[in-house]
Amino acid sequence: MTLLEHQGVPAEAPPVPTPPTGVAAWLRDLGLGIRLAAGGGREGWVRTALTAVGVGLGVALLLTAASAPHLLHERSQRSQARAESVAPGGPDAHARKSDTSVLRISAESEFRGRTVEGWLMRADGTHPVVPPGVARFPGADEMVVSPALKELLDSSEGSLLRERLPYRITGTIADSGLVSPGDLVYYAGSDTLAPADGGHRIAGYGDPGEGEEMPPVLIVLIIMICVVLLVPVAIFIVTAVRFGGDRRDRRLAALRLIGTDVRTTRRIAAGEAVFGALLGLLTGVVLFLVGRRFVGHIEMWGVSVFPSDLVPDLRLTALVVVAVPLTAMLVTLAALRSVVIEPLGVVRGGRDRRRRFWWRLLMPVAGLAVLGLTGKVDKSAPVDPYPIAGGAVLVLVGLALLLPWLVEACVNRLHGGPVPWQLATRRLRLSSGAASRAVSGITVAVAGAVALQMLFAAVGDEFNRMTGQDPSRAQFYTFSQKVTSEAAARTIKEFKATKGVEAVIGKVEVYVTRPGTYKDDEIQPTTSLIVGDCGTLRELARIDSCKDGDTFVVHPRNDKELSDWVDQTARKGKEVAISDTPGGKSMRWTLPADSPTVVARHDPLGEDSWGIMATTGAIDPSTLPGATTQSQIRVDESVEDVAEYVRNTAAGLDPAMRVSSVKSVARDEKYASVQRGLQVGATATLLLIAAAMLVAQLEQLRERKRLLSVLVAFGTRRSTLAWSVLWQTAVPVLIGLTVAVAGGLGLGATLITMLDKEVTDWWLFLPMTGAGAALILLVTLVSLPPLWRMMRPDGLRTE
Amino acid sequence: MIPAGSLLCADSLYKTYGRTPALDGASFSIHPGEVVAVLGPSGSGKSTLLHCLAGIVTPDRGTITYAGRELSAMPDAERSALRRTEFGFVFQFGQLVPELTCVENVALPLRLAGARRKDAERTARHWLERLEVEAVGAQRPGEVSGGQGQRVAVARALAASPKVIFADEPTGALDSLNGERVMQLLTEAARSANVAVVLVTHEARVAAYSDRDVTVRDGRTRDLEHAG
Repeated sequence: MTLLEHQGVPAEAPPVPTPPTGVAAWLRDLGLGIRLAAGGGREGWVRTALTAVGVGLGVALLLTAASAPHLLHERSQRSQARAESVAPGGPDAHARKSDTSVLRISAESEFRGRTVEGWLMRADGTHPVVPPGVARFPGADEMVVSPALKELLDSSEGSLLRERLPYRITGTIADSGLVSPGDLVYYAGSDTLAPADGGHRIAGYGDPGEGEEMPPVLIVLIIMICVVLLVPVAIFIVTAVRFGGDRRDRRLAALRLIGTDVRTTRRIAAGEAVFGALLGLLTGVVLFLVGRRFVGHIEMWGVSVFPSDLVPDLRLTALVVVAVPLTAMLVTLAALRSVVIEPLGVVRGGRDRRRRFWWRLLMPVAGLAVLGLTGKVDKSAPVDPYPIAGGAVLVLVGLALLLPWLVEACVNRLHGGPVPWQLATRRLRLSSGAASRAVSGITVAVAGAVALQMLFAAVGDEFNRMTGQDPSRAQFYTFSQKVTSEAAARTIKEFKATKGVEAVIGKVEVYVTRPGTYKDDEIQPTTSLIVGDCGTLRELARIDSCKDGDTFVVHPRNDKELSDWVDQTARKGKEVAISDTPGGKSMRWTLPADSPTVVARHDPLGEDSWGIMATTGAIDPSTLPGATTQSQIRVDESVEDVAEYVRNTAAGLDPAMRVSSVKSVARDEKYASVQRGLQVGATATLLLIAAAMLVAQLEQLRERKRLLSVLVAFGTRRSTLAWSVLWQTAVPVLIGLTVAVAGGLGLGATLITMLDKEVTDWWLFLPMTGAGAALILLVTLVSLPPLWRMMRPDGLRTE
Repeated sequence: MIPAGSLLCADSLYKTYGRTPALDGASFSIHPGEVVAVLGPSGSGKSTLLHCLAGIVTPDRGTITYAGRELSAMPDAERSALRRTEFGFVFQFGQLVPELTCVENVALPLRLAGARRKDAERTARHWLERLEVEAVGAQRPGEVSGGQGQRVAVARALAASPKVIFADEPTGALDSLNGERVMQLLTEAARSANVAVVLVTHEARVAAYSDRDVTVRDGRTRDLEHAG
């Protein structure tokens, strides 16, 4: 056989491998992308690390949010466990005395704005019940305290509080007896506490009740807070998976050169993003676990949590674990649709393809429509959270979608100006998408916050009540059920001697009746007898002349009927009966015949007192059975810790004496805690956004390191470049904030209409907008040192 | 010692990056309108010498005198002003601002020096025309070829009427034909405007456009006059 003949016979060709298709091709390409990201050298790792840190921060925040249900449940459980068990006769009934029953009274106080929960307790028998977390019932003058209170009392900062709680510390309360690690709680033992002092008998602890229902308005607020705080986190994650995208695109061009097709290249890119997202997931879990260890030591706006309470909900965690890499993949594939990766380079298609407006408008409009169709929130029916949350998410995400179009439309109209402005606007024109992405988080956060502020303001009247109290006449008031001999006089005297106290309105009050026998269907005429010094009585009634020993009949203002009722008991020159219990043994006292009749006036608490008023010279307050003491105290607020001095004096007089602040507005506790929650969450979200903007800024600067060096080489002033960076950040932020304000006002107004309220203030967006602008300034300032460094001539070195 | 009539002169320059010495007693001088090629292998210290001469990097030791003024003693702001008004630069790559058009890139040094936008762009167009790239004036750097981009960079270097142009491997990223043309245009324009050119290169073909060669090896310089 000749060679020619041999040529005619086809040689056995090596088998051509069939490329995988479908899912197999996807897996192969994603895998290749992951391998490229993992083995991409220093550059690849820097990009992956940026994504991982960014995604990690977001994931850590999402896991924290996913822990909220468990956290709230555990806190509620512990709170209920330490509440007293309800006696058989109902919530107001006293338990029966037994070997295990305990007499107790609340001795709650406040120290430098923090609540100190306390109870004075006396065991009825030898085996008293103990609260959760307490190992041994405290003996007389002993107390068990929470670890945070112990720490405070042991510190120099707590020395004033130590004066108030002079009991010997015999133990600490375990976590099971506390709602949060920062709780200031104590249980003090007493051997003198009696029912007459206000002591309440309990049989045990643990309230199995369901707890109070949240009002629908608060539920809407909570839904909005979740949406407002979590949507920016999701947007942040989406932004983070695109960190270093430009550099990656160039690397992908090299893959095209060796023959990979466009689809494969995109899938490889998606694989790289998935790798970053998976590392981010891991970083997030590590950050969450590390942060969880230290969370017990952190307190923000009086909120602290036990690490053991931070357990993410399994379903929500699974959602995060699946959604994050999936989002990374989808976002990358979507982003690459506007990018043409050719073998010799990358062409950004987005520049020439103008963004369309109409479909971007669809989402926020759809959101508003969903909210509109939901109708008014019925105060008596349960709230369906899904349409509200869904509508709000659509509006907020829609705003983020509108932003790129708006930024592009605006920067395309910006011409001329000085060099920094020109550099900035041109840069924005070339990459308006990146600029929009960088500020989309803050846009959504500010829009949501504006809507929330409006909501809070609109529903505030339901939760913030005008008390009618006048804080300019007195700043504190006290109340005690304990009246011992000389107690009233002593109370007034000691408060007057307290550092920083300017005046004391102290009164001792008992009910007095008209003596006589009455039929069953007859109401025995009753009124109050108030004993105080002339200064006090002048604060309670319009008295022109007063000297010790005087007495007065005080009529309510503009109420003839009630005045007549007072006169039925307060008969001048006649006796009144004073007794501590109905039908009990009473004492008699004669109202002097020369007692003038005067009219009541509002006291600093906004309350009117009427009946009989007597100076201490006319009747000895220590002789009055069943009397209560109330003091209203005016202080010099410039004296540091004046409130603590007042409370210390009160505790010295009677540990169970209640000291409250005179406030013109009373806030609902649940409303206040929702607002506190918003503050904590908003801080975390804003910090995350700041971190995202900083990373994006640094990444952009890193990309332009060589160009910056060249610009500096031919004499560009640093200030020129700094201004250019500032404008580059400020222009999209300004557009973003405008969108945020418009969107936030729209969303807020819609939600307020749903709650059947009215917008109280359209200018509430100013603080949040200011905070957003401050954040930008901060990010720019922080990015200046790296900018200076990148302007060094090192960037010119090529060898 | 400063050679008579020299515009820019460096004497016994020392510069170290970390532990690596880049310049080890290098000296240099150039006269107005003169084209001097700085030759040497990779890592010999050519670029560092150029950066020191241009006032971008401060030498550890030694003196640099420009038009009778001690450059190394000037504060950063003064050196920046000098670079803006008296010096021009051409680098191998990555020097044009990608978001500005070619005209705006050429006008940039003039605008940084305080010229009005219209005046700066008129001058820029003149230089683009001289460098035979007026057609790409409205395009951005990413939309023009490498050779055109490099000519735009040369036009930018010349636009502010500098006294000295520093060119660091200006043809390093170009093919030979484009490289030759860029060098031809650069040296012709410089000579006609009496501008001195410090030309860092490792290609003898590029160095051929110079009046004089300076070789850098291990951070030291050696002067070579061209025979022709």
